[in-house]
Amino acid sequence: MLELLAQTGLNAVYAASYISLIAVGLVLIFGVMGVINFAHGELYMAGAYTVVLMYTDFQVPFFLAVAMGLIFVGCLGLAMERALFRPLRDNPLGGLVASIGFLMILQAVAAMGFGVRMEHIAPVTQAVIEFSERVRLPVARLYVIIAAVVLLSALWIFLKKTRFGWALRAAAQDPEAAALQGISIKQTARIAMFIGAGLAGIAGALTAPLVSVNPHMGHSVIITAFIVIIVGGVGSLEGAVVASVAYAIIHTFMTTFYDGVIADIVGLSLMLLVLIVKPTGLFGSADRA
Amino acid sequence: MLSKIMKPGLTRRTFLQSSAAAAAASSLPRLAHAQNNVIRIGFLAPLTGAVAAWGKPGLDGCQIWAERVNAAGGIQLSDGAYQVEFVAYDNEYDPAKARTGATKLIREDGVSFIMMLGGDTWPGVQPVADKTGMLFSTLLPSDLSPDTTTLIAPAEVHPIYNVTGVEWLAENRPELKTAVMCAQDDALGLPSVATYLAAFEAAGIEMQDEPLLFDPATTDFAPVVTRLMSSNPDIVCLDTCYSDYVHPICEQLFQQGYQGQIISCTADFYDQIIAKTSKEFMEGFLFQFPDFDDPALNSDQVNFEDPNGFFAEFNKRYPGQWGAVSWEYASVMDLWKAAAEKAGSAEPDAVIAAMKEGGTGKHAFGDARWWGTELFGIDNALVGDWPVVAIENGKATIKEFRSIPAWYDKHGDLLVKHMKAYDQMWDQR
Repeated sequence: MLELLAQTGLNAVYAASYISLIAVGLVLIFGVMGVINFAHGELYMAGAYTVVLMYTDFQVPFFLAVAMGLIFVGCLGLAMERALFRPLRDNPLGGLVASIGFLMILQAVAAMGFGVRMEHIAPVTQAVIEFSERVRLPVARLYVIIAAVVLLSALWIFLKKTRFGWALRAAAQDPEAAALQGISIKQTARIAMFIGAGLAGIAGALTAPLVSVNPHMGHSVIITAFIVIIVGGVGSLEGAVVASVAYAIIHTFMTTFYDGVIADIVGLSLMLLVLIVKPTGLFGSADRA
Repeated sequence: MLSKIMKPGLTRRTFLQSSAAAAAASSLPRLAHAQNNVIRIGFLAPLTGAVAAWGKPGLDGCQIWAERVNAAGGIQLSDGAYQVEFVAYDNEYDPAKARTGATKLIREDGVSFIMMLGGDTWPGVQPVADKTGMLFSTLLPSDLSPDTTTLIAPAEVHPIYNVTGVEWLAENRPELKTAVMCAQDDALGLPSVATYLAAFEAAGIEMQDEPLLFDPATTDFAPVVTRLMSSNPDIVCLDTCYSDYVHPICEQLFQQGYQGQIISCTADFYDQIIAKTSKEFMEGFLFQFPDFDDPALNSDQVNFEDPNGFFAEFNKRYPGQWGAVSWEYASVMDLWKAAAEKAGSAEPDAVIAAMKEGGTGKHAFGDARWWGTELFGIDNALVGDWPVVAIENGKATIKEFRSIPAWYDKHGDLLVKHMKAYDQMWDQR
């Protein structure tokens, strides 16, 4: 039983890692730009396909392919900001609708470029850390955990300790006041989009060898990400991380000890409970933060 | 306003004339078919999305089938020879899209027969079948009911044939005594769960746990595999999981240190699973769908023309795409062609009457009989032998052909019991 609990705990840590990378990016974009980016799951998908293209097709070393995934998807985010979100900034629903359209375009591009079948990606490593006969952590999963810890720590330092980070937070709290202080709203939007999209991209790139890569892979992660940011508090980075961990633990343990369908129901019930008890989420406030 | 969107030179009169001509042409598809001596066959299956692996390779196989048949003179009906042409519609495994597709194929394309994967999409299509009397085929006989008089399941009796794999395993690996199972919670997964439970019970293999059901949207299978392995089973059964699930589940089993027997309905693209695990890990993996270059398919009992040549041609055109359904829709067409030629007509009523004459038919894997009243309420499933396939030295190998009716005659009550427990009988669905 102890081994089962330990293995389930490791599974939960991995799940929390990739969910938090995606959810934090989504929250950052919403916090700074006020846009609910429905195409965030497809940015995750784009990161995975970058690895398919570079690592599988062009034999680029895996970690270089992952870095390319981060940069490519970050740039895709910049393009979205410039072409979709900026022109629709004054339209409350414009960004949301545009992102839905963009997700369909990304899916279609992936289907045309790579086909509809899941892609085969050779394992990066088959090495496994054996804590005991029944408690094992594949090294490929460890990469995701390390990346999440490093990147989210770096983001926290960036937001708390740098001038750009302060500008980003100021723009998120009150765009007009930030602009009066000389902060460029356009520039903060670009930074937020690049980081938010890049986090989704690197999550997709790192997990590509571990999941089924196909044009529709973004669906399930975006649903999970929305549950997480609603529970954590829309606009709260800390809330997104805490909710990711809580959701991953609950979902993983429920799947292991009951079944996956009940785990999904419990996850959604958690979201409903938070909406009823604290509509702003665990770490949210009435205003965007 | 209209003039603003018209190309220069295109007058309103020309536009209206063209529109009228197009409308008239689209309303007369059957006339067009007769004039061109072409019989159109509808292919209504998922060509994109998670279930595409059980649609697209089947369409690819049908194109090869059509070229072969057309090169040999086409389909001989009483009023002459007809070339055959497939018209595909991607239903994305969505009932509403399947209904739209069925309507379009019948009304606009004038098809004579429609092949489907079935499952979740059939309820969307059934009203169209009832209204038009069109002949449909499904790969999933669990779609059958007494009301589906124009629906046939002539290629596979999913999931009933899974019993042959378990039966073979029990006879050849008697030391395996315990099993666990996981499945996606949908119209494909649940009847298969009931079938495997009946097969394990008949074989004296103990289920250590209730089948673990997961949401079809699942992407991380580590928790599922941890649970499966927690009771230290001799056999892990992957039910009728889609290939998008079979691959990551096998990878997780490998990474979490599983060393026992795996049994599954399918193992599409198994070479990729081997690449992600190891040849040793996959040795003995048991499933139900052979590669068609298997020498066992050259035996006299097999009613599929030149299976080895078909497999070679398929792999030449679509390298690495061979899957469970690559041959199945083509084998349905073999049966349909034989029946249409026997009836001398492509009309649905005439074809189905010719097909079921005498209560027997030539299934791809041997002579079979029309069967199903007890399970489906109608004898519209063609049932006979089915191959048991094992991966040996990295290659799918037919171990034996086994009789599904023979198993059912002995253990049919168990199957009915478990089907009822999962609400999968025709009168429960």
